Formats: sequence, C-alpha cells, structure tokens
Amino acid sequence: MTRVTDDIIIRTVARVFMPFIQIYALYVIMHGHHSPGGGFQGGVILGASFILYLITHGVEDAKKRMSELKAGLFSSFGLLIYSGIGLLCLIMGSNYLDYGRLSTLLKVIPAQARSLGILGVEIGVGITVMAVMFSIFFDISTGGVVPEDEEGLEESDE
Amino acid sequence: MSNFLLYLGMGLFTLVFLCLYRGVFGPGVLNRIAAISAIGTKTLVILLIMGFIYNRVDMFIDISMVYALLNFIGTITAAKYLEKGGEI
Repeated sequence: MTRVTDDIIIRTVARVFMPFIQIYALYVIMHGHHSPGGGFQGGVILGASFILYLITHGVEDAKKRMSELKAGLFSSFGLLIYSGIGLLCLIMGSNYLDYGRLSTLLKVIPAQARSLGILGVEIGVGITVMAVMFSIFFDISTGGVVPEDEEGLEESDE
Repeated sequence: MSNFLLYLGMGLFTLVFLCLYRGVFGPGVLNRIAAISAIGTKTLVILLIMGFIYNRVDMFIDISMVYALLNFIGTITAAKYLEKGGEI
C-alpha cells in the first residue's frame, strides 16, 4: 500500500517537476521520427510522471488524476488510434499502415502524409504505454486491495 | 580533442565497474542504492561524451535526460521504501 509522504521537499519537487516531465514526454513523442525516442519512450516518460505523483502523493490523490479504470480506457483508446489509422489505410485501398494513400484524405503530398500518419500512430502507442505502465505500477503498489468506487465508474461513463 | 574525450569516457567506463562491485557486494542496502545511482550518473556522462565524439550531441542529450529522470525517480522510490521498511 502506497502511503502519503509527509516530506515537503519531496512533495514540492514532484509537483513542480511533473509538468516539465510531461512536456518533455510530448516532445519525445512528437520528435520520434527525427531523433531517438518515439511512442514507446515518450509513453514511458509520461507514465513515469504519473508514477512519481503516485509515489509522492499517495493512492487517494493519484486516483483523482488517473484511476485504474481511466488507465484501462486510455490503453484501449490508444490501441483504437493505432488500429484505426491502420484500418483507414486499408479502407483507402492500400496495405495496412501504408500511410501514403492517406494523402488524398489529408490533401497533402504523399511524403507529408507518411510523416503525419506515423505521428498519429506514435501518439496512439504513447497513450497506450503510459496507461499500461501506470496500471502495472498501480496494481503492484496497492496489491489489488483498492476497489474501484462507484463514483469513478459513473464519472468516466460521461 | 576527440582523443581526450575518448580517454575520459574509458576512464569513466572503468569507474562504472568499481561502482558495480560496490553494488553487488556492498554491505547493506544503502551502499547498493548509492552505487546504482552513481552508475546512472556515469552512464549519463558517457552518453554525452559519445555524443561529442560523434558530433551529434542534439541526439544523445535526449537519451541522457531520460536516463537522469528515471534515475531520479528510482532513487526516490528506493529511499521512500527504506524510510519505513517495507512499504512504498
């Protein structure tokens, strides 16, 4: 069970660092096709920011930001983006994940369509990896003893 | 200049193994945590030196920042684990 730390230095550093970590994660995802990194690495950094929050602020506060149910929904949503872009290419009449054919839909040249297509796929991978990393850490740290409350279920249905 | 950086990297590479000895055989958990943290910091500097040797610092600085970040979170987690034994 993750307990809340009472050290003000750790709490403040975590709270100040968290937005910078997330912006850096978005940078790694967006520049995945120019520099080292990509969907998986950016997702890991994005998950690490939530793990840092869970470590320093405890389970109760972390559940307001990202509960286990939301993590499951996010992981499915990322997979939906990935397979949706792949299927869109299939519907447009080319191979699965062959982004060149998306140029007629996006009204750009094929090279630019490939760049945008792989960016979309990396965003999907990043969301999935972030949710799964957080979900694994949440399950291990709580030992599975925190049940999903009814309010959380109703809120996320909206 | 490139030779200097190469020897600097090789020296740090040797020091990593000394830290690894402390991490494996070190008496107590605190020595091990300090050794792993030091290895992480040395790896970061070695990555930056590699970037300078290949003239691609802009590529390698991304990886080294990620390494520093994960090292920081790992050290905080281990320290919190040891604060009151056995729970994060």
